[in-house]
Amino acid sequence: MSSRFRASCILLLAAAALTVSACNREEHHSRAKPIGENIPAGASPPTIFPGGGSPPPLDARAALYDNNANAIGKGQQLFIQMNCVGCHSHGGGGMGPPLIDDQWRYGGRIDQIATTIAVGRPNGMPAWRGKLTADQIWDLAAYVRSLSGLPSKDAVSSRSEGMSAGTPQTLTPHGEIYNSDSAQQ
Amino acid sequence: MSVRASAKAAVLPLLLGACQYQHYQSDFGGAAVEDRQFLTLFWIFIAVCAFMYVLVIAFLIAGIARARRVDANIVETGRHHHSNPLMRSTLIGWTALIGVGLAGLAIASFFTDRSMARAATNQKLSVTVTGNQWWWDIEYNAADASKTLRTANELHLPVGVPTRIFLNSNDVIHSFWVPSLAGKQDLIPGRKNDITVLPTRVGVFRGPCAEFCGLQHAHMSLVVVVEPYADFIKWWDHQLQPAPQPTTPLALAGYKYVTTGPCSTCHAIGGTPANGQVGPDLTHLASRKSLAAGTMPMGEGNLYGWVEDPQSLKPGVNMPTIGLEPGQLHAVVAYLETLK
Amino acid sequence: MRRVTTAVTTVGVLVAASALAACNKTPTARSTGPQIYAPIVGGPHALPPAAAAPADDGNWTMPGKNYAQTRFSALNQITPANIGKLSLAFTFSTGTTKGFEAPPLVVNGTMYIITPFPNYLYALDLTKPGAPTKWMFKPKPAAASQGVACCDVVNRGAVYDNGKIFFNTLDGQTFAVDASTGQMAWHTQLGDIQKGETITMAPLVADGKVIVGDSGGEMGVRGWLAALDEGSGKVVWKAYHTGPDKDVLIGPRFHPFYAMDRGKDLGVSSWPPDAWKIGGASAWGWVSYDPETKLIFYGTSNPGPWNPSQRPGDNKWSAGIFARDVDTGQAVWFYQSSPHDLFDHDDVNEIILADIPWGNGRRPVLFHPGRNGYFYVIDRRSGQVLSATPYGYINSSKGVDLRTGRLVPAADKEPQPGRTTRDICPASPGAKDWNPAAFSPITGLVYIPHINLCQDEGHSEANYISGTPYVGADVKMYAGPGGNRGVFTAWDPIRHRAVWEIKEDLPLWSPALVTAGNIVFYGTMDGWFKAVDARNGKLLWQFKAGSGIIGQPISYKGPDGRQYIAVIAGVGGWAGAIVSANMDPHDPTGALGFVNAVKDLPLKSTAGGILYVFTLPR
Repeated sequence: MSSRFRASCILLLAAAALTVSACNREEHHSRAKPIGENIPAGASPPTIFPGGGSPPPLDARAALYDNNANAIGKGQQLFIQMNCVGCHSHGGGGMGPPLIDDQWRYGGRIDQIATTIAVGRPNGMPAWRGKLTADQIWDLAAYVRSLSGLPSKDAVSSRSEGMSAGTPQTLTPHGEIYNSDSAQQ
Repeated sequence: MSVRASAKAAVLPLLLGACQYQHYQSDFGGAAVEDRQFLTLFWIFIAVCAFMYVLVIAFLIAGIARARRVDANIVETGRHHHSNPLMRSTLIGWTALIGVGLAGLAIASFFTDRSMARAATNQKLSVTVTGNQWWWDIEYNAADASKTLRTANELHLPVGVPTRIFLNSNDVIHSFWVPSLAGKQDLIPGRKNDITVLPTRVGVFRGPCAEFCGLQHAHMSLVVVVEPYADFIKWWDHQLQPAPQPTTPLALAGYKYVTTGPCSTCHAIGGTPANGQVGPDLTHLASRKSLAAGTMPMGEGNLYGWVEDPQSLKPGVNMPTIGLEPGQLHAVVAYLETLK
Repeated sequence: MRRVTTAVTTVGVLVAASALAACNKTPTARSTGPQIYAPIVGGPHALPPAAAAPADDGNWTMPGKNYAQTRFSALNQITPANIGKLSLAFTFSTGTTKGFEAPPLVVNGTMYIITPFPNYLYALDLTKPGAPTKWMFKPKPAAASQGVACCDVVNRGAVYDNGKIFFNTLDGQTFAVDASTGQMAWHTQLGDIQKGETITMAPLVADGKVIVGDSGGEMGVRGWLAALDEGSGKVVWKAYHTGPDKDVLIGPRFHPFYAMDRGKDLGVSSWPPDAWKIGGASAWGWVSYDPETKLIFYGTSNPGPWNPSQRPGDNKWSAGIFARDVDTGQAVWFYQSSPHDLFDHDDVNEIILADIPWGNGRRPVLFHPGRNGYFYVIDRRSGQVLSATPYGYINSSKGVDLRTGRLVPAADKEPQPGRTTRDICPASPGAKDWNPAAFSPITGLVYIPHINLCQDEGHSEANYISGTPYVGADVKMYAGPGGNRGVFTAWDPIRHRAVWEIKEDLPLWSPALVTAGNIVFYGTMDGWFKAVDARNGKLLWQFKAGSGIIGQPISYKGPDGRQYIAVIAGVGGWAGAIVSANMDPHDPTGALGFVNAVKDLPLKSTAGGILYVFTLPR
């Protein structure tokens, strides 16, 4: 085949590859899953697994929401509407612990955060199961992860909303200050 | 019937049909003072521009016809014509005509604008419309705080009363546009705009959102009901009433679900524990003419479809698909239908 | 020529002198010595009413010392002459690390300490060396209540009466515990954490009734004040602060002084429909009592949500002072200091009862340093405001119109939806928050520990979901004019002016104590427990505690007859939440805006909860 034909083939393939790689980041899950679905049962907080046990595997839905720009955006809106800001401020904490640092009492993996939101925690974290759909809870979990700089920088909002105009998440250093992502188990 | 007659017979009903809908959502509706002022200006512009258009076309035709008769060699030999006095006076007259025409249009525009601004005083009624993705939050302001009314997606206005509508937005830029009543005015987050409307004709009108605001911009419409003043006051008083208590067991089950389940995190129903502020107020949902901000007419079937799966009717909307069981769905819709 | 030279020299000297004088006035953020504005003049001054402030028996049975809330100890062994020798007698670690706002109580040789959540009650035996623990009582409040307590899980104190200790727990219960055995006498569940109600206030026991109010103005609760029978714990009366008159216990005895507070069912008509049911107006502050007229005086909190555009109207009966009959709870008068409050200016600050010289006699009044920055002197029989003088910098209002009683707002400082309003002074915690002032009948001055903060505020639509916050505001606070975040003022309530003032670097969040030895005690958020001269503010003595001090210092007579000073150090509260709640300073809007104002606090104080008791050596 001619070199020009080969060049255009390569270009086409490259364009297709780029498009496909961007797909996950921009995928919209508008048809949400019903609320009756199981909360990730395997997402226990970081703890001891006696007798050589191991932490449960990552929930299959994590790939749909982690590093997904649409989920993080919807989660940002829900974070304010469901009054998470009232207890956690814009990540600094208050009635609830801070979310912009790297200390996760009950785990920082997206499925662990989703479980925390759904079932609540003993010192005052409300249980949202039955009030939010699973899709909404996962959206919130994706946004909460973005507060501490964990998702990839091309999925997070590049403009800091809200009055204090703090550092936009694309420049948030928190996820990079520490050598290891302690949320990964 | 001849072809021409059958063509006319086909077109006429369409024209009549167009006329019928003309006043529901049309710039030619003329149902309010603001729209009538706009229409007056519009017809002035049309008249002046049409007149000039006809003149230009006439001269063009005359020019083409004349050129056919005159010898084409004249141009090629470059023989000069002496300045034609007729041509010169015509040109001067033409320029003067343009000047007068434009000045006239400018003056007409200026006076229309001034009269619209003057109308924006002495408003008797004050409403605040807040745009959200993708619904309209409407609050009627009253000097007596306990008479302030919060509703959604349907605006009632009394005929003959100048109303000042304050415009704000909770997220992105929307635009308030009820063509039969007035022009466009944007709802800009962080800024309080306003528009004055003085309706002159009773009726039901529709206003689509006129500034692209996201996925469901096309399904964000406002229904405006203009009614006599006495009816308006009756409507306002009725809307202030709390939601009626459910009487049937099915409606009671629906009430329990709505006030303790996911619905109450976003919606408010007056007189019940449900007090969510981020979604439309549902206290008198069943009395509205449309559902989901003008997406579909209010009705039992549409209610079923909307409550069960809003994402398939209006994908991307903030109301989630909960996945109600059939029993829950029957109960919820039964309760919502009692919210007249 | 010589005259010119003299003139030039004089001018030169004057210029140099004023330049040198100006140097001293350069504002510095560091703690300064006292600025003395006026010498204390002699003559008749304010005195607390005798019935509400009986003679001092050396005990400390309620946080305010007496019903008039003077926080004045008549013990005078410790004086400016000998305070240099004041030293530590013993300490006690309470085992908690949350903000410690409560004072220890001392009753006849036993000291009682109530801690922040989990609200343990300790009894220490002062007759034995080292004050060993006699007993401890654990009420076991629900842990989930920590999730609905807006401003640290504090407790403002217990109270002793008739052989029992009464206190409230975070999850909305009131307990009565036998003071000698530590056995529970009764407990009553009053608040519901599912609705966001907690209880942090110190109860008041008067006329055989335990007076308790709820917290939760930031959670969309409906505020109330209740009276429980001292012996059984049963509710005798409960007055709501929003809603119809019959719920607010407004009846024929109610005669507010100002027209703006008169009308039928104002608790409904001054709100949009249904908004009063979630309108806040809780009662988490101080209650005073006048035994002569049998009236209790207390203030109500901010209306909810913080976003004022969601609640047009005056929002009665929030942000105002109630006078109620202690027997029936019937309201006698009400004064709203901030109608349609815009800045979370609760009115729950202390109400000090006093009689002031007036004409040929004396007039019964109350002193009230309000959140909105005005020092109110109000006739306590009628509710008439005699004066409202700014005791801090205010630009968010223009004054109080004494004719109508109404606060005059500054239009440019009114927060707008979707926009940020900047430089609002005083900030939301006000010119002074909950931490109460002390009043000395010897000097006639009110000793006010308070703050100097301004803020930026932006509003957004608040969503109401019961059990979650209902606020709708983003706030960022910072130091006010002068750069100092805290200030201690000695205020003359008759002449309406400061007599002396001490600027502090950090906000002052601790209450004050004043003694008959003319010494004022207060603590700073970085742990300095200070004693200053009550007459001129001169620093006499200070001690660095292990944690910042936000708790009430007390003075008592020990079993050995010596005067003791006691305070519990444990930084926290709204101002210290960055330490007690381990908050992250990267988010300036944290703790409703306070984090931005005290970003340096974690280095200056760690958390703690330790009792320090001082005395003079024998």
